Amino acid sequence: MSTNIKLQSNVAKSSILDKLKSQVKGADYSKLPAEPSYQYPQLSKEQQLAQFIGHLQANHAQVIQLEQAQIAETVSNELKDRGIKKLLYGTQAAHSAHMAELDADINTDISAEVFDFNLAGNKEKLFNDTPASITSSRAAIAATGSIVLWPTVTEPRSLSLVPPVHFVIVDAERLYATFATLIKEQQWQDKLPTNAILVSGPSKTADIQQTLAYGAHGPKELIVLLINS
Amino acid sequence: MAAQQLDPNESKYAASARNFRDNVKRDLGNQELRENFRGAMDYLVDKRKNAFPDGDELETLREQCKLIKQRCLLKLPHLLEQLEENLQANGIHVHWAETITDANDIIAQLIAAKNGKSVVKGKSMVSEETALNDYLEARDIECLESDMGEYIVQLAHQHPSHIIMPAIHQNKKQVADLFADNIDGFAHTTDVDALIGEGRRVLREKFCQADVGITGVNFAVAETGTLCLVENEGNGRMCTTVPDLHIAITGIEKVVEFLDDVPPLLSLLTRSATGQIISTYFNMISHPRQSGEKDGPEEVHLVLLDNGRSQAFADEELRQTLQCIRCGACMNHCPVYTRIGGHAYGTVYPGPIGKIVSPHMLGLEATNNLPTASSMCGACGEVCPVKIPIPKLLQRLRVESVKAKHNGEPVMKGEGSGRKSIEAAIWQVWSIMHKYAFIYKTSMWFATRLRKLMPNKIGVWTSVRTAPKLAPQTLHEKVQARQNQQQYKQLQGGK
Repeated sequence: MSTNIKLQSNVAKSSILDKLKSQVKGADYSKLPAEPSYQYPQLSKEQQLAQFIGHLQANHAQVIQLEQAQIAETVSNELKDRGIKKLLYGTQAAHSAHMAELDADINTDISAEVFDFNLAGNKEKLFNDTPASITSSRAAIAATGSIVLWPTVTEPRSLSLVPPVHFVIVDAERLYATFATLIKEQQWQDKLPTNAILVSGPSKTADIQQTLAYGAHGPKELIVLLINS
Repeated sequence: MAAQQLDPNESKYAASARNFRDNVKRDLGNQELRENFRGAMDYLVDKRKNAFPDGDELETLREQCKLIKQRCLLKLPHLLEQLEENLQANGIHVHWAETITDANDIIAQLIAAKNGKSVVKGKSMVSEETALNDYLEARDIECLESDMGEYIVQLAHQHPSHIIMPAIHQNKKQVADLFADNIDGFAHTTDVDALIGEGRRVLREKFCQADVGITGVNFAVAETGTLCLVENEGNGRMCTTVPDLHIAITGIEKVVEFLDDVPPLLSLLTRSATGQIISTYFNMISHPRQSGEKDGPEEVHLVLLDNGRSQAFADEELRQTLQCIRCGACMNHCPVYTRIGGHAYGTVYPGPIGKIVSPHMLGLEATNNLPTASSMCGACGEVCPVKIPIPKLLQRLRVESVKAKHNGEPVMKGEGSGRKSIEAAIWQVWSIMHKYAFIYKTSMWFATRLRKLMPNKIGVWTSVRTAPKLAPQTLHEKVQARQNQQQYKQLQGGK
């Protein structure tokens, strides 16, 4: 970084902070009014699950309830229905072995590939030659029908973003009532990943005459594989 | 410093804001434009209403979020330092800019350092504020808007007419014509899915090739050093994930203290803006690409822009302007915005929020018409998710605009620029009249008796209205006469 830019920024920083500080010097934080928070009705696990599914479906996501062992078969069927023969997945996830089996299964012509390459140098492939992907998720939020993605070294960020069809595995055991309770219970403030994302449906836009269209830039379809045992 | 040379640094929006009255005439006469806005605003008002079925919840959330933002503003300098420290600890670079030119210059230098030639942009009103696209294009850097609405507006060589839905002034036929004129091989259609599909095809190619992604920020979390982006399309994620360099730009007021502050603000933001309980994506960025990761930018930079915000901060009443979370509900509910549309204001931020924030960015000299463009109906203040008393601030800005010269520190750039000596003299007389009963009574007596001398034509007022007529007697006189009569009757009855 050039020294010019740094110098310029430092001058601006002290000027801005001086102006701001002179206005709130000696402010007594202990006198800040108490902030109210709304007490939402407590829902049972079943109600939360229904709420979660309802919101996702209202947002045009497809939700399939299944058991862990059925993942490969379900994915295979859904891909077949769409005429898709390629699937990209991450390594070392709970479902990775199932995907490897799917790839090896001689009864299907689906080729499942592992995302073990750097995006740089492989952008064309990911954008133009990867019709579907599958990822895991870290948690889910009932109140808004949101799925928390927590990309890692083995499940890169673009895996859930670039392919037009995104399968995401959600464990009903990890369903939280609200975003606020999730942050609190998992102590997010202590450690956040490079990129955490809440996803609540397929990519969409209403930018042309308020008409909703799906598949703006990201996935056109979000297929939620909800494991509920 | 550059900030003191007026001309080269003046935003292009200052000139268009000065033309406010002409802009209004132009746009009020455009039937298609008015239909587009009416339809869109009715839609958004309805969506918001349905998103808040529980009035108690809404009011509790509004109070909570107002207090969150007020706390964060009271601690602003401290939080900005904490934010910088934590972002740097996370590996994200932080830059500070006082003016729009400084911000643009920083960004241009960051791009040049990476030999960047093409930029994809996520939606950022702050980058509109700095007219970043013009600045970069003048330096041979291609800068493509990737939000569908922004992309349409850029193709049309316009700027957004709404802060959330930038192309709301265009209908699908206009968009189809625009695509036909600008995109090779586009088969003309007004089918929205096909139009979006076309935009998707063009823009995905660009995401794949771009060297740099530039976005705004909805919340910057001081506690964790996290940049949060709210979006539906996925273009924000593309811009922050695919190119090797990500530059975010935001105003200094977007910092929040705790991660816990985010959920209530997010909930109010999306519901107030588009009536969604949450946006499709909520993107939280805390690091550049870390060791072993296979994608994500190698470098992430944040540019913190002042551009008049510290001026608003310096006055406790005007500071409330900075509570804004840019949801756009105030414009959706504004009878003036709905009729004149977003471009008439001439500013980057239109509508009620634009009227109270633009004077700090562009100075009151260029914007002193804006605070007067209000019927004071109060709808903006009622729907504001963080309870900014917009009508009150409009009144305050009207006062600042006509303030007499004084020796103290100026409150605002351009204060007093709307002052007219004749208007000031009229109010001076008014004030004297109301101070002394004798003068008041005498002048009223003459005014009512000489009412026939009132002109029938009083400038713009009578262009659409009949001239007001003074009564033959003042109310005081009438009441007095009535009392006299009653006393007389009592006296008669008493006989």
